[in-house]
Amino acid sequence: MNRGLLRWGDILIGTLAAGIVVAAFTLAYSPSGDARVLVINQAGATPQHEPLDRARVLEIHGPAGITRIEIEPGRARCADSPGRQNICEASGWLQAHGEVAVSLPNRLTLQVLGTEPGFDSMHY
Amino acid sequence: MRAAITQTLLLLLATSLLFACGRDESDTEQLAFYAFGTLVDLSLYPAGEYDVEAIGTAVQEELEILHTSWHAWEPGSLGRTNDLLAMQGEFSAPPSVLPLIERGREMETLSDGLFNPALGKLVAAWGFHQDEPDGPPPDEATLAELLDDPPRMQDIERNGVRLRGTHPDLQLDFGGLAKGLAVERVLELLAERGVDAAIFNAGGDLMTLGRPSERPWRVGIRHPHGGVLGSIELDAGEALFTSGDYERGYDWEGERIHHVIDPRSGRPSQGIDSATVLHHDPALADAAATTLMIAGPDAWPEYARKMGIEQALVVLDDRIEATPALALRVQPGPDREPFVIRELP
Repeated sequence: MNRGLLRWGDILIGTLAAGIVVAAFTLAYSPSGDARVLVINQAGATPQHEPLDRARVLEIHGPAGITRIEIEPGRARCADSPGRQNICEASGWLQAHGEVAVSLPNRLTLQVLGTEPGFDSMHY
Repeated sequence: MRAAITQTLLLLLATSLLFACGRDESDTEQLAFYAFGTLVDLSLYPAGEYDVEAIGTAVQEELEILHTSWHAWEPGSLGRTNDLLAMQGEFSAPPSVLPLIERGREMETLSDGLFNPALGKLVAAWGFHQDEPDGPPPDEATLAELLDDPPRMQDIERNGVRLRGTHPDLQLDFGGLAKGLAVERVLELLAERGVDAAIFNAGGDLMTLGRPSERPWRVGIRHPHGGVLGSIELDAGEALFTSGDYERGYDWEGERIHHVIDPRSGRPSQGIDSATVLHHDPALADAAATTLMIAGPDAWPEYARKMGIEQALVVLDDRIEATPALALRVQPGPDREPFVIRELP
């Protein structure tokens, strides 16, 4: 390369640009385990997104009764849901990206997502 | 020249930032509904290309037909077939049941009898032929009677569409196979409707149709004890099926009674909490997941080999074991121990 074509300012801009590119990719693709949002997916309804920013309780009405969801900063759980097997409640606190709880009687899934790209589907 | 280099760098920067921002925009459309007795989830790619409502309705209708036809204890084609098989006379089989019988025969042979859809009476005796499974479990005398010369798929004679049962206790139950065949049918339906790429998920078991143009499918795998076991990138035409002791069951006198019954002991299988199989044939993946769970901690790799399964993993109390081929593909979740590799014999 002919060094005469580049001055120190060009090299500085190039280095800065390359640095920002690397940083942008790192921010976009590096996994983040911290849950940021709860996605409530109920059969026949549009998915509901609830930010995990403050403590609150949600009640979701389904065909078998009410599913009570507790939200705290960075986590959420199925606190009470219809069904004798307590499968939804047994999932405990959902706090890592991708964690999911399922209530078949109320036909809903709860999934927490972080900043990394969400999954296309959840196998359980 | 300087200006060109600077412009190129700035363009690269802008493109990268735009691309990075674009990751938050979903390139798929999701649809969830209840069908086939479970929660169904459909992801279609690319977003905005399809009449999602019409596709959802068609899939739901197809699944309702299959559910009614193949249900093990509610009235329908399989119920009528079971009644006629028990009478041991020749009859014309409902067309919807024939593929189940043929694939069921094939799976029984491949699994050396560990997967036996002819044992519906045994499954019913454990209280699983009802929406909310419940005890009491069968007593020793009942079990001994059911295990004395138990029925097999070979006890069905077939001549074209004519069938005849040759065993008085023969009762078909295609749990562990019907969902796999339903998934296969739905993927055919999606392709007929012009869908290029989709994931069809029925109660957690899923299969891909095609794949997005710029990336693989990303699928999370839930750990049966809670949390995320790991994640996997799937290509076109891959089915992921799991059989687990947490799916259907009840507690009886402090013991967990689950729905996967070992035909050798006549009791719920022991030692493996869940078995996961990845294969291009969803019916085989479904049946193999059940078979590996029944095979148990020592023998599961042997049965995987018998059934032509190279990609499988099993969850035990204290560890996760995987075949080399699947261990290479599954990225374990946060704080998960690495898989214990089990070579196929």
